[in-house]
Amino acid sequence: MEKKNMVYLNTTPIRIWHWINALGIITLCLSGAQIRFPEYITLLGSYKSVILLHNTAGYVVTVSLFIWFIYYTFVTRTLAKLYVPTMDDLKNGVIKQVVYYFFNFFLGRGENPHHPTPDSKFNAMQKSAYLAVMVGLMPLVCVTGILLINVDPVRQYIVEMGGLKILVSLHFLVGSSLCAFLFTHMYLSTLGHSPMAHIVTMWTGWEEEVEGHGGSTDSH
Amino acid sequence: MPSTKKSRFLQLCIIVMLFAVPVSGYSMDDDDCLGCHGDEDSVAANLFIDQVSYGITDHAELGCTGCHEGVSDEHPDDGLIPSLVGCVDCHEDIMEEYQAGTHSDNAECGDCHNPHKAFGFADVCCADMNDQCAGCHDAEDVYKAHNEWLPQTKLHLAMLPCISCHTDSECQMVVWYIVKNTNVARLADVEFVEYNELEKLAMGKNVQSLVDLDGDDFISLAEMKVFNKNPKYKSFRLQGRLSSECASHTLTTFDNRWDCCFCHCSGPESMKKSVVALPTEIGTFKRIEVEEGAVLSILNNSPDFYLIGATRSFLLNIIGLLIICGGLALPFGHGFLRFLTRKNRLGK
Repeated sequence: MEKKNMVYLNTTPIRIWHWINALGIITLCLSGAQIRFPEYITLLGSYKSVILLHNTAGYVVTVSLFIWFIYYTFVTRTLAKLYVPTMDDLKNGVIKQVVYYFFNFFLGRGENPHHPTPDSKFNAMQKSAYLAVMVGLMPLVCVTGILLINVDPVRQYIVEMGGLKILVSLHFLVGSSLCAFLFTHMYLSTLGHSPMAHIVTMWTGWEEEVEGHGGSTDSH
Repeated sequence: MPSTKKSRFLQLCIIVMLFAVPVSGYSMDDDDCLGCHGDEDSVAANLFIDQVSYGITDHAELGCTGCHEGVSDEHPDDGLIPSLVGCVDCHEDIMEEYQAGTHSDNAECGDCHNPHKAFGFADVCCADMNDQCAGCHDAEDVYKAHNEWLPQTKLHLAMLPCISCHTDSECQMVVWYIVKNTNVARLADVEFVEYNELEKLAMGKNVQSLVDLDGDDFISLAEMKVFNKNPKYKSFRLQGRLSSECASHTLTTFDNRWDCCFCHCSGPESMKKSVVALPTEIGTFKRIEVEEGAVLSILNNSPDFYLIGATRSFLLNIIGLLIICGGLALPFGHGFLRFLTRKNRLGK
């Protein structure tokens, strides 16, 4: 008989942050697409309103990122432990996860080598990806976006650093990368013991760990 | 009358006529007029005419009496104010266009245009165009009125000539001006570099040679890059301004200008044409055509111009698309294999 253990993985502030961030990033991707290709995309109304929406969502995500950083660094003090991969993660953990996701998973053998706990929520692949996203891409897209909203006071600096189009290009490419990450992230969230398992965890905070299946195995 | 007396009388008449005709047919020429009106010390400020500026206008070809028909050779001793022909006499079409709008109730031609400095549309820079409007429209009022609905109001007002929205010209082009920062503390403050400063920068060469290296009246992308990268010109830069290609006198706010899409959805195709406007010795601007692609180039050619929505690079679009496709590869690839191998996980 299957025994289910319930593990409290995500605290309320983290869940609120996650869903605000998710809504913000989806809004930014859609509005960003309309801003770049206004002749072809009119999904979110007039050009003026879509820019207002994009700028507002941009500020929300920036503040959200800042809160995330403060929370993990100074409140729970677990940023390094949760997000920075160890040498063992890089040498062995990533390989184990790759073998599982791209080999054992399809063959239906073995279980997910990583079992999430409050002190170790992410597997080695997740750690590497989230670190790159949260410490690299997100700050970069926020800074370039804020500069683009406020070009005038810093125009000279922007020109000296390569110009407005370099700044816009950087913002666009990082935005595209985050959009790509979003698709991957959404798909991987369905690889729990049921397609909705991880999503429910992110909503309720409780992870249902089914013994004999591994914390994040998929049976679908 | 005896014949001798008659012939003497005729001779006298001929002599009188010979002297009288040139005197009565004499009228002032431009040199006479400008002898006084071209000298700041001889006439009041409002009657002074800058001879250099006037000389290059089309009006100069008509001459002073072309418009001031009634000026007599006794002027100014006759105490009469010379008559003026109406602008409508020559500019009938423009007048008809202008009178259809509300501006004609408030301003006459001379309120915006100095006929002695009536330069062509391409001879003046963006700021000069707006000076005509600033004569009546207070800058603070203009800002307040636009700020009620226009995002980035300050940027729009600084970077666009008023006529971009307030005439029915629908053709836009990018005009590059050489600018420099005037205030290091406030980085947004820039001013158009004047001819004298560029002349010093050119060190004895033609000012045009600063950007048009081969002097062929055409600026290639390579030439533009050389100017942008030259460390000697570090404090100067080419700044792009979106400008109408032509202007009409239908001065009003057109309905489609309330829609940001009028400019921002114009697409990269509208960003192909651009010109560099260089100041000339006589205070006008000379436009030199720039090779297509300068506005859209990401590197080197146009660091100080970007029109959101329109200035997008095709190459960058492709790279962005490939990145997003990379993100979709996992859901589609892994998802497909997951579907095919679903039986392997049944019962687990």
